[in-house]
Amino acid sequence: MKDVYKYFDKFTFFAIITLVLTGILLIFSASREMGQNYWSRQLVWFGFSLVVFMVIFRVKTEMAFRYGIIIYGALIFILMIQFIGGEIVAGTRSWIKTGLFSIQISEFIKIPIALVLARTLTRFNVIGWKELLKISSIVGLPFLLIALQPDLGTAFMLLSFIFVSMLLKRTRLILIVVLVIIGLSGIFTTWNFVLKPYQKNRIASFLDPEKYKKSSGYQVIQSKIAIGSGGLTGKGYLNGTQSQYQFLPTRHTDFIVSVLGEEFGFMGISFLFLFFFVIFYRQYNFKVQSDEEFYFVYLFNSIILFQFIVNILMTIGFVPIMGVPLPFVSYGGSSLLAFFTGEALIFRIKISSYLNEF
Amino acid sequence: MYIEKQKLSKQEIRHIAFIANILIIFVFIILIFAFWNTQVLRREYYTIQATQNIIKDIEIKAPRGFILDRNHNRLAENKLNFTLFLVREFSKEMPRTLDVVASVIGKSKPDIQKRIDKYKNHPESFMIPIEKDISLDKVIYIESRADEFPEFKIQVEPARAYPYGEVASHVLGYISELNTDDLGDKKKMGYSLGDIVGKSGVEKQYEKYLKGSKGKQTVARDNLGRIREVIRENQPIIGSNLVLTIDIELQKYIEEIFKEHNGTVAVAELKTGGILALVSKPNYNPEFFSGVLDPDEWSALLNNPDKPLHNKCLQGLYSPGSVFKIIIALAGLQENIISEDTMLTCGGSLQIYDRVFHCWLSSGHGSLNVIDALKNSCNVFFYRVGKRLDVDVIANYTQMMGLGDKTGIDLPNERKGIIPSKEWRQNSAKEKWFPGETISVAIGGGVLNITPIQTLKMISTVALRGKMPQLHLLKDIESNGNVTMESQPQFTQVPISKENFEIVIKGLYKVVNDGGTGNAARVPGLDICGKTGTQQIISKETPNYQNLAKQKKYKPHAWFVSFAPMDNPQYAVVIFVEHGGDAGSVAAPIAPFIYKKLFHK
Repeated sequence: MKDVYKYFDKFTFFAIITLVLTGILLIFSASREMGQNYWSRQLVWFGFSLVVFMVIFRVKTEMAFRYGIIIYGALIFILMIQFIGGEIVAGTRSWIKTGLFSIQISEFIKIPIALVLARTLTRFNVIGWKELLKISSIVGLPFLLIALQPDLGTAFMLLSFIFVSMLLKRTRLILIVVLVIIGLSGIFTTWNFVLKPYQKNRIASFLDPEKYKKSSGYQVIQSKIAIGSGGLTGKGYLNGTQSQYQFLPTRHTDFIVSVLGEEFGFMGISFLFLFFFVIFYRQYNFKVQSDEEFYFVYLFNSIILFQFIVNILMTIGFVPIMGVPLPFVSYGGSSLLAFFTGEALIFRIKISSYLNEF
Repeated sequence: MYIEKQKLSKQEIRHIAFIANILIIFVFIILIFAFWNTQVLRREYYTIQATQNIIKDIEIKAPRGFILDRNHNRLAENKLNFTLFLVREFSKEMPRTLDVVASVIGKSKPDIQKRIDKYKNHPESFMIPIEKDISLDKVIYIESRADEFPEFKIQVEPARAYPYGEVASHVLGYISELNTDDLGDKKKMGYSLGDIVGKSGVEKQYEKYLKGSKGKQTVARDNLGRIREVIRENQPIIGSNLVLTIDIELQKYIEEIFKEHNGTVAVAELKTGGILALVSKPNYNPEFFSGVLDPDEWSALLNNPDKPLHNKCLQGLYSPGSVFKIIIALAGLQENIISEDTMLTCGGSLQIYDRVFHCWLSSGHGSLNVIDALKNSCNVFFYRVGKRLDVDVIANYTQMMGLGDKTGIDLPNERKGIIPSKEWRQNSAKEKWFPGETISVAIGGGVLNITPIQTLKMISTVALRGKMPQLHLLKDIESNGNVTMESQPQFTQVPISKENFEIVIKGLYKVVNDGGTGNAARVPGLDICGKTGTQQIISKETPNYQNLAKQKKYKPHAWFVSFAPMDNPQYAVVIFVEHGGDAGSVAAPIAPFIYKKLFHK
């Protein structure tokens, strides 16, 4: 235990802490006009997340993998109960109210999925039909339950697990071809039979935001205006007109980057990218002890990367609005806590290659 | 069950890590480029959009100038108008609403119900104007109980107030809000939708002075339209005040004594040509046009047969009747057809061109000169003079004296009238002029058509012995208490000798003061000169004339044109009573009231 801090990845940890604190700074700016103390709530969540981080960090990796499947099952069970009797908040059933704070199970289920999937992947040599079916069912069940809440953005993020699994393993070519076909027909059925009008509007407005300027295209346009008008150096903290005069929608959550872009400009954005790059790079490159640990780190790191890419591209109108928060930065306790839990496991894994006994 | 794990080789791990690194580098390069493009290359484009989002130019309307009378009494001013609307969407139960309305505005429930029923075919979202111009204490009462009365909405709009109500409405005119149809070319002149613009009267005539110029406020507004910051502000320039030559006390007095009649009265100050009073009856309340127009009241006003919106003084075309004898007398004298001493005989009627023309006095006036012919308004005398005058000569003198042409008074929509001449006949009917028609014209009949204001100009010119005044309503324009424009008296000289005017004036004096047709206009101690005119609507030869003449619409129009005093004249007064009857007993008796007021007698 003495040597823990010697091998602990302080650099990455510092990058994550910086992101969260930057986030709180931006949330303060974003929510000043909302009459809500989102920034202080985020601070409380941050403190709580740090405590959880410390606790999880002490858990032996082997334990995590062993109980992964149980946690997975438990969360699926809660999701099912939610689906049957969940209270609808903001149009979805994804929230569980527990006293002071609401918890989004869909954020937490990423961890057990990655754990279960990592262990499963170690048993495969090449991904064929049977293997794909296994992977798909592990991801598919929570995907379905979350998609039905309906929270398509979060559900869609889970699909990245399948994609990454296939990249990590050798996959048969025919499988990829078939998957592309299924994917395309999936998009077709989703568009025609699954999507609610507001979701279709989001996509339609993504394709032609000017036409939907006054309705659903509004968010993207206002976000692009905020970012673009920020210029190289930004308008200054608390001086962004798009943010302070409330033209930016959901700016403390999904569009937090727009606030950064407006008030701190391209420079601010570049720093944000730099910190994220440090995190991704350092979490992808480490001394591997066991296969399942390797797979877990890659799977969990990749979903953060995915969510990061989708959120960022959403703010400049490169992908449709999906309601995906920016990891570590956006307001949202569940998201923050879930990512800190996952990171605690990664940090532990990275350290365990140096300490055999701990 | 334990399954043998496929152990990853170090090389495989390095391979995967390498691909992952390439991928994230690739992703970050794309993101950096995308943001560089948005934030650095397209910055200007988005900055303009961000500015457009928040920066709004707000027009500050300029208060309209006041209209004052010659003694600076306010005839038109500005006020805030509070209109109470009923919003049916928010009115849950009608009975309760009715009770509340009734208790607040103090009207009876059936009255209010009637008003609501009038709009029952309008869509639910239409707000029913319940009461215009509600008092401030009611506004406060209702606004402070907004939660209790969700069915009410009070709208505030700047409105024009006319403190004297209907008085001088045709002089003042009215205003209206610019709607989309009217906006068109006015847009270039700086008008925008909802601006107040003068629609008639001096409100229209002097629009450009009254309107002032708008101010502009540049503000930063948030997403909800709330003003966060005022960036620049240009104050509006208040419209100039208009001072009229009107004496509102006189105007009010005349309207009061004239209230039973339809027609017009106009008073001019001869020294300047300024109009002291201009009455057209019936009139209307100009405030009616300020604010929300009630469609029913509006159509009632439009369809009223007495035409309240019509300024009869400028827009009513009538035959001058015997008033025209002044023109024939002047023409006859100036053309040397008659002199002061020329005696002509009236036998009650005269046969000219195989037709018999009658005098109003069937027994005849005997032998008389032009002075007595005017005094008694003898038709036969003027038939004889007219017969010796060419119709074109008559037309020439008519125009010379200001009849049949616009007087150029500073009010919009003045009408011209018709002066018959050979050329006019050729142009209008492609026919020749029959000499017999000249005889009718000689006593102010036939196709001759003029407006009352023209007779005021004519009688003023007679009073001033050929000096023709430019009639006008504007005294001066004031801005911030300083006179910025003053109207100067303008006169032109008519080519008729002063002596001939004196002869005619002697006749006009006798009309009033020597037992003439205008005897009823006499004021002891004041030398009033005048001429009556009774213009028949139907000929006396019409069968059943006596019975028909009892109906108002067949009653003759009654004229009385006059000035006083005879020497050094000061005021001219024209009285015209539409379908009034005999001029001597209807129009002339009104004159003394006006002259007594004018000369403080």
